[in-house]
Amino acid sequence: MSASAVFVLDLKGKVLICRNYKGDVDMAEIDHFMSLLMQHEEEGLICPVMSHGSVHFMWIKHSNLYLVATTNKNSNASLVYSFLYKLVEVFTEYFKELEEESIQDNFVVVYELLDELMDFGFPQTTDSKILQEYITQEGTKLEVAKSKVPTTVTNAVSWRSEGIKYKKNEVFIDVIESINVLVNANGSVMSSDIVGSIKLKTMLSGMPELRLGLNDRVLFALTGRDKGKTVMMEDVKFHQCVRLSRFDSDRTISFIPPDGESELMSYRINTHVKPLIWIESVIEKFSHSRVEIMVKAKGQFKKQSVANNVEVRVPVPSDADSPKFKTSTGHAKYVPEKNLVVWTIKSFPGGKEFLMRAHFGLPSVENDELEGKPPITVKFEIPYFTVSGIQVRYMKIIEKSGYQALPWVRYITQSGDYQLRTNV
Amino acid sequence: MPYLSGEETVKELRRALCNPNVHSDPLRHRNAVLRVIRAMSQGVDVSALFSEMVKACATVDIVQKKLIYIFLCSYAAVNPELSLLVINTLRKDCQDPNPMVRSLALRNMTNLRLSSLVEYVEQPLIAGLRDRAACVRRVAVLGWAKLHDLQPDSEIDAAVVNELYSLLRDPDPVVMVNCLRALEGILKEEGGVVINKPITHHLLNRLKECDIWGQCEVLKFLQRYQPQSEDELFDILSLLDASLVSPHPPVMAATVGLFLSLCGSLPAVGLSALRRAQGPLLAACGSGSREMRFTALCHIQLLLRSLPGLLGAHYKRFFCGYAEPAFIKQRKMKVLVELVNDDNVAMLLDEMKGYCTDVNPDTAQAAISAIGHIGRSYSDRSLEILVGLLGLKQDHITSAVVQTMRDLLWVCPQCSSTVCLALEECEDTMQDAQGRQALLWMLGVYGERISSAPYKLEVFIDDVRNETSAGVKLELLTASMRLFLCRPAEMQDMLGRLLHHYIEEETDMCVRDQALLYYRLLHCGKEETEKVLQGRRSDPSLGVLIGPPAESISQWAHSFNTLAPLLQSTFKPDSKPQLSDALRCDPVETSGKTPADCSPITQLAFLTSSSAAPLSLSVSPALSPEKFERLWLQPRAQHDEHGKLQQTVFQCSAQSLQASLQLVNVQTLAFTPAHARPWKVYLYTRMQLDSRGSTLILGELVHCEEEPEEKTVRVTLRQQPRDDETLKAFLSILTTVLHTHSSSNETLKDI
Repeated sequence: MSASAVFVLDLKGKVLICRNYKGDVDMAEIDHFMSLLMQHEEEGLICPVMSHGSVHFMWIKHSNLYLVATTNKNSNASLVYSFLYKLVEVFTEYFKELEEESIQDNFVVVYELLDELMDFGFPQTTDSKILQEYITQEGTKLEVAKSKVPTTVTNAVSWRSEGIKYKKNEVFIDVIESINVLVNANGSVMSSDIVGSIKLKTMLSGMPELRLGLNDRVLFALTGRDKGKTVMMEDVKFHQCVRLSRFDSDRTISFIPPDGESELMSYRINTHVKPLIWIESVIEKFSHSRVEIMVKAKGQFKKQSVANNVEVRVPVPSDADSPKFKTSTGHAKYVPEKNLVVWTIKSFPGGKEFLMRAHFGLPSVENDELEGKPPITVKFEIPYFTVSGIQVRYMKIIEKSGYQALPWVRYITQSGDYQLRTNV
Repeated sequence: MPYLSGEETVKELRRALCNPNVHSDPLRHRNAVLRVIRAMSQGVDVSALFSEMVKACATVDIVQKKLIYIFLCSYAAVNPELSLLVINTLRKDCQDPNPMVRSLALRNMTNLRLSSLVEYVEQPLIAGLRDRAACVRRVAVLGWAKLHDLQPDSEIDAAVVNELYSLLRDPDPVVMVNCLRALEGILKEEGGVVINKPITHHLLNRLKECDIWGQCEVLKFLQRYQPQSEDELFDILSLLDASLVSPHPPVMAATVGLFLSLCGSLPAVGLSALRRAQGPLLAACGSGSREMRFTALCHIQLLLRSLPGLLGAHYKRFFCGYAEPAFIKQRKMKVLVELVNDDNVAMLLDEMKGYCTDVNPDTAQAAISAIGHIGRSYSDRSLEILVGLLGLKQDHITSAVVQTMRDLLWVCPQCSSTVCLALEECEDTMQDAQGRQALLWMLGVYGERISSAPYKLEVFIDDVRNETSAGVKLELLTASMRLFLCRPAEMQDMLGRLLHHYIEEETDMCVRDQALLYYRLLHCGKEETEKVLQGRRSDPSLGVLIGPPAESISQWAHSFNTLAPLLQSTFKPDSKPQLSDALRCDPVETSGKTPADCSPITQLAFLTSSSAAPLSLSVSPALSPEKFERLWLQPRAQHDEHGKLQQTVFQCSAQSLQASLQLVNVQTLAFTPAHARPWKVYLYTRMQLDSRGSTLILGELVHCEEEPEEKTVRVTLRQQPRDDETLKAFLSILTTVLHTHSSSNETLKDI
């Protein structure tokens, strides 16, 4: 792994905070980072790894910050990037919003975290749940050093502390599926997949043992059941609390949940799904005079379901002016800073079809700059529905005190990377 | 806080730290310390406050302690003497009942990085290894690594090393992994930590307990283990199967790396592991973070070097999204080029076409050159797109297209007719020197087939004073010379003007010398000039037929899952530069030589012009390997001619043979690898029969080494339709080619 040092820079390249872990790379090397980045940017080829002499900078950008790791070894790139993203994740959980101000306002906590996250270039304790138990923002309030070590640092169940108590024991399960679609300009679906995730909000006392049942096709095949709809999941990822050995042997998802909110698992389904909201567009550009846009949106899902907060974003030329709209439902708005028309429909029932027409003027002097062909993108959310048909069949909760607990399940389908290319 | 007021700030902070009132109030005291650290993070040099901060160290407030330690570690190197004062506090903290305090003290003691303090640190570190709390042990273990890093020459006590080995069995997985890391550093001289059978099995059993960082680390260390038997190897492999399809890309990559190194002797197993890892690899390519996507793409490129067929069915996963950054788009295109096959070529080219008009000129250029690459195997479709792009009249696109066409011609000469037609239409003048150079090269080499070539050159020659690029100047000279040879009437005046300008007025020595050389060459007569200027038009050895062969996995396995693949790809923009180099130097290279000491290729050039001139061989229309196979296997419909050529053993490489055959317009379709016996070559050509259309000749050369004394090449030819005369003529050409080759090899040996 070996990252020699980690830096957090602002957009101008000024070091906000840094931590030298190994001392084998001069800390002043970071001064070259910004000039390298500018140079690459001018050449039009920014690259997530840059080198100055024998020093390599691996960097990511998050809001108005650069997080940079330096190394002079041939270290494991994927691990370094994972670590940088882990930093972002941990900081975000502490400060809600990770940006320049939050780093400056909380530099004490940031120092403390950097100290715990990595030692001598090797990641140590990175679980934010554990970290939160002994590094707190309340630390700025004065108190004599805690005499008790958090159990989790050495605990067998590192993600859950003992002695948690709730008056009412409940678990909320959110099944969220987002669909990614790429449709070609001539209307053929180039690629589509579903990325699903199951999120938990656990409010349970003690050390409960949970078991989750899904309509997993492999499980059904194993047990010889074949009734009802099943789902074939790929690339299943679990939270570390899930016993992988049991899942591998008999597909049982059993675990001791972390307290509060967490993502239990995620999966991907690589099947051809019919795009839930189908868009047909005719964009006619008459040079020097006007642009006529006609967009037809069709809900290709069950009549009982309703898509909420649908937003169809249609690109328009950057020099377009004097917009005029006509919609069969919802309302359209011109967003000049993004060169978009955003057509918003609050509720969009399945099987329905809506129409939007837009008219723009174009200046008689043509814009020389080459413009790309941005695709139409769509955002939506369909509650009480999953595209893949995945279902939570049961959630068993067993705790030695024997309390009764209620699981609540909620399904949502939403748009992920939903793009339809246009001809213009 | 303005930077310039640093000194005042320090003064003020010192006052605050020394104030007894502040000392008595813990809250105010901590605020003072906080201000020092804030100043430090803002780049103010507060090292002068070192002694005050050392004093402030004696506190019960753990947050204040942490802050002060951060300060001390940052400035210890500047104040080694004063640092000695801290040691006492730190050692006292190492005895603290609170494990958090103990680990904090121990960590910072080793972070001071002062060799003068080593003697004070060793004892607490030893105690730390035996501490009850895992968090202290974690720090202590790495502390030894830091100590060794500080004084690489001094030996770490063998007892400590043993203790570290025994801590591999520590119940805390992080302690275990830290032990591996520490031992690796300490025992670097002796080749790192020893991974023997019991340790391997122990690590494998505990792999699941580790977090992803730990898992990656353990998997990396396991690469060092060589299983004693095949059974053991397979046991390990099946144990690791779950990690192979791990959803965490780093773990998956580490496992693949381990598989590759374990299966070094069993490539088949390594291959199947890679196949199994396909899913997670693809998932990594679609991961949310662009850096991870980039890393995954770079590694997929690495894999494709050995397994060109892998992932072919999943090509759609590498289509670019509109908003993706340029570095990912360009990498995806490189992967797409590798994945092209008969089934997806239409879809793929259609998609690529869209990228050619990308807003980022580099991306557009990369897309165009990717289409050129695909053109090496699917020339018609690619050329159609490239020609279409010329119609856009966008400067940077035209330039890229022209360069791509040049590169394509060099590899696939059969595309020349389409390209010539397209160039005829192309009217633009390009801003980009690279593009102009490519255009000039093509005008020179294929000038006789582009009717407007002299007029295009005229534009350049009229504008010669404004030309700044030396490369373009040289190319212009050579192109004008070449065109003069085939179209003297149109070119004479222009060439005269050009030579005059370059010889009289040019300041660039290189250009001037070249012009003088050509001027003198023209005095030697037309034949002599032709010999020099008729360089190679193409080098099909770079094409798909023999192309770069699949590398063996071992060539890159060691750099798998490191930084190297990412760096390589930034600095080595694939084979294109070699190609253009070859093109650029070719007129100069041959210019000084007389035919006698020329390479076999040049000799052959003479051969074609003299003996084989009445026969016109051509390779177009091109014959696909599949069609060749069908015709070849067709039972006896054609005429067969068998012959044995008495020949010295041919040691010439497949490439050079192919190149020379290409010169006489014979296309080779397939070779067996260099050392396979019998060694075979398949080739074909079409021969013009006067007024009766053409005849197709297919041939097979077989060279057996079983009878070493009889050094022969057996030739089997099939012809359709039959024509004895041409067949004989063809055989004589072939014989001459082979002769030239073997004789040139002998001369080489003599030298």
